[in-house]
Amino acid sequence: MGIGYAAIAMKAGFTPLQTISMSFLVYAGAGQIIAASMALTGASVMAIVLTNFVVNLRYFVMSTCVLNQVEESNLGLNILASHVTVDESFAMFSLSEDSHIWIYLGIAITAWLSWCLGAGIGVVLLDILPVIVTNSFNISLYALFVAILTPAVKESKQIALLVLITAVLNIVLSQFLGNWSLIVSTLVGAAVGMYIVDDEYLISGDD
Amino acid sequence: MDYISLAILGCAIVTFIPRVIPALFIDRLEFPPKVEKFLNLIPYTALAALICPGVLTVDNQLWYIGLIGAVVAAGLAWKKVPLGAIVILTVVVLITVYSIVPFF
Repeated sequence: MGIGYAAIAMKAGFTPLQTISMSFLVYAGAGQIIAASMALTGASVMAIVLTNFVVNLRYFVMSTCVLNQVEESNLGLNILASHVTVDESFAMFSLSEDSHIWIYLGIAITAWLSWCLGAGIGVVLLDILPVIVTNSFNISLYALFVAILTPAVKESKQIALLVLITAVLNIVLSQFLGNWSLIVSTLVGAAVGMYIVDDEYLISGDD
Repeated sequence: MDYISLAILGCAIVTFIPRVIPALFIDRLEFPPKVEKFLNLIPYTALAALICPGVLTVDNQLWYIGLIGAVVAAGLAWKKVPLGAIVILTVVVLITVYSIVPFF
């Protein structure tokens, strides 16, 4: 993933330093790839920044979930934790039984640094790696998501139904709402879940 | 500052603000059980929405590449293969599929 982002960024005229520092400072998988693709087509700074805001608004929801789950934290650690909250760290932590802040930071900071490292490797190796290999790496994030979700779906028909409803909803909404559909589907799906999922099937790290 | 640096800085700010707001206020909030349940449901719905339809665009030319990857990952997870192994095996399967595709 990090390598794929670096490929687009370099094509868009980012320097190696800019490519890596974006991974460090922005740290948003899809958001960075979209920003780099937009820079490639010569979009205005305003358009790039606004699109990023919309695409990354989901981190507000994820950050709220994660911080609601962690224990024995403080303001400084919470701020650090919020910056390193992305889809992967959120997914791995929120569906695990652990709730200690350092476990979360361990997962999330490792993911953050590997993302930066990926950008660094991408900058160096870009010309060497064949497209087939970089495309195959693109699946890794989705493989992770599917792998995390599958046990819950296997465990409970209600969760399976909710996942199906949300997936279909997002496929439909993405035709109309574009970048907004992800966050709208997530929230609407959770609202639907209030009625179709019994409490016993939910993992709660908080209590 | 050049165009790209400005864009990076702007993106960094608008990405950080929504992320950090919960960190600043979470301690003062005690969520009622209904909100708690809503928050506990979000991981499932967020993952569902992240996977569909995004997984079909892993390869912009061949939509089924992502589908194959998702099915392989789900199958391995169903058999309780560890997380890291699932990711690596899925990548290996896709590299294999890519090597076979040109023959059809």
